Amino acid sequence: MRHEMLCQPASTAVQFKLDQGESLTCEVGAMIAMSSGLSVQTTSKSRGGGGGIVKGLKRMFSGESFFLNHFTAEAPEQTLLIGPTMLGDCVHHAMRGGTVIVQGSSWLASSPDIDIDTSWQGFTSAFFSGESMFWVKCSGQGDLFLSSYGAIHCIEIDGTYTIDTGHIVAFEDTLKFNIGKASRSLIGSFLGGEGLVCKFQGQGKLYYQSHTPPALGALLGPKLKPK
Amino acid sequence: MNQHNQSFSGGVFHPSIPGGRAGAEITINRGEIIAYTQCDGQPVFSIPINQCQLDLGGASGRMLFCRTPDGQLTIFSEDKHFAQALDLHSGGLLGNQINTLKRAVRSESKKLGFWILASSLACALILFIGYFAMLWAAKATIASLPISIDEKIGKLALDSMDVGKRLDSAHPASKLVQSIVDKLQPHAAIPNMKFKVIVVEDPQVNAFALPGGQIVVFTGLIREATSAEQIAGVLAHEMSHATLRHGLQSVSQSLGIVAAIQLFVGDIGGLVALGAQIAQQSILTSYSRTSETEADLEGARMLHAAKIDPQAMAEFFGLLKEKEGDIPDAIAWISTHPQHSTRIENIKNHQKSFPATQYEPLDLNLKEAQEAL
Repeated sequence: MRHEMLCQPASTAVQFKLDQGESLTCEVGAMIAMSSGLSVQTTSKSRGGGGGIVKGLKRMFSGESFFLNHFTAEAPEQTLLIGPTMLGDCVHHAMRGGTVIVQGSSWLASSPDIDIDTSWQGFTSAFFSGESMFWVKCSGQGDLFLSSYGAIHCIEIDGTYTIDTGHIVAFEDTLKFNIGKASRSLIGSFLGGEGLVCKFQGQGKLYYQSHTPPALGALLGPKLKPK
Repeated sequence: MNQHNQSFSGGVFHPSIPGGRAGAEITINRGEIIAYTQCDGQPVFSIPINQCQLDLGGASGRMLFCRTPDGQLTIFSEDKHFAQALDLHSGGLLGNQINTLKRAVRSESKKLGFWILASSLACALILFIGYFAMLWAAKATIASLPISIDEKIGKLALDSMDVGKRLDSAHPASKLVQSIVDKLQPHAAIPNMKFKVIVVEDPQVNAFALPGGQIVVFTGLIREATSAEQIAGVLAHEMSHATLRHGLQSVSQSLGIVAAIQLFVGDIGGLVALGAQIAQQSILTSYSRTSETEADLEGARMLHAAKIDPQAMAEFFGLLKEKEGDIPDAIAWISTHPQHSTRIENIKNHQKSFPATQYEPLDLNLKEAQEAL
């Protein structure tokens, strides 16, 4: 399976070339276009039978869909084009064992060998980070595709790193994050417009996005006419 | 279990690995932590236990990292038995480091426990305050409602009730009771409330008030009373239930606060019917203990104002006490009516706060009424 990022960075779509027998698991509704030799299977299970209804329900809690779409090439040289819901970039992360924790709705697609589960991030993280209480946990070996709202950036953290709440796309499970104040005083943090921030600690990759959907909503919402 | 063959799933950080990180199976053997990676070429990495530096972290906070002193190579695992196995194989070399980490975990979980406890206490406090604030709001709402609602509920409740055989209003017993009510009426807390008495043939020593001022008196009560003042005491108590609007308060508590607010906002029709039903079932049989005490004290005030000795009310409770005996303390505590002895005490204490007055005996013939029954 080969992939190519098209129209980067504002309206990125990922184009896959699949050989006969190869397959890809995608978020429901991610498909933009595909060639005729691909079969689509929609289930709540991972390919190969893992998971099921419970995992599907757990996925829903994390902001993903109950169902997954599995695309399988039944003829050689098939093309599949997928893209995220919001305007923004996509990124490829090669997994060599281990786990990546993805913010709900940022998971776009992954190889069938990658297990997609949900992990609980706790109340405090959810209340203060502006993220969901449940996150998507991807583990195994293979390719993982993430989407963002706005541009996506990757940083290799070794030590500590601070990121504003709501900007997290994904991070490796070797990283730990705490919610903290942006500046030393709480009042200063809020006056500075930063409020609370996520402080990462450890070693690993962190993906973050340049924009956050709630910020757009907060800007547009008051200007919309009531129905 | 053979400890030497124990393996843990985890991973490795090393600059030679593409992307810097790979998943690995970890074993501990001959003083070394060995990681077998699954990436291309399947390289194997190892750290001698005596050079290993431990650290805790990861998304879960329970991932154990083993680093070489130069920080180039890191082997990590989230397996909860990993630390145990390290401790076992290190021959005490890592004991200090592991203990320090264990203490850190413990203090963190203690901190978490504290926050969980503190937030649950805060939630409980908010609920507690909220409950009483709502009760208060319901009371305030009821005070602002017109008396006509009480009257409607009371009338509906009485109409749908089978109280028993009613005595004619010309009956000497009915006349006696009505004349006491007429004497007390000018001193009621709500001046324009119309009180109407119904005497019902029933051996029970009881009387009850309906919202809006209708009072039902059982003939048993008239028979047992030794003076007209005692009947006046009971009537003052029941009239107080009506003027203090305890009926509506019970309705609002039974219907819930939402209904009280709904009453305030509007949509009264349906609630009146529902209120009447609840009134029948619960209010009349048992007001809350607070309401009973309130009615006792308000009744005593009315009696005093009407120049009837409030002592008569206490006397009547004494009579009941003699007849029924006091309820054992433990049960009384949970039952809705306060202990007779407590009630007598309360009335006596309350009476002390009144200015001294010359009480006048009621000019009524109780004997005649009793004989007519």
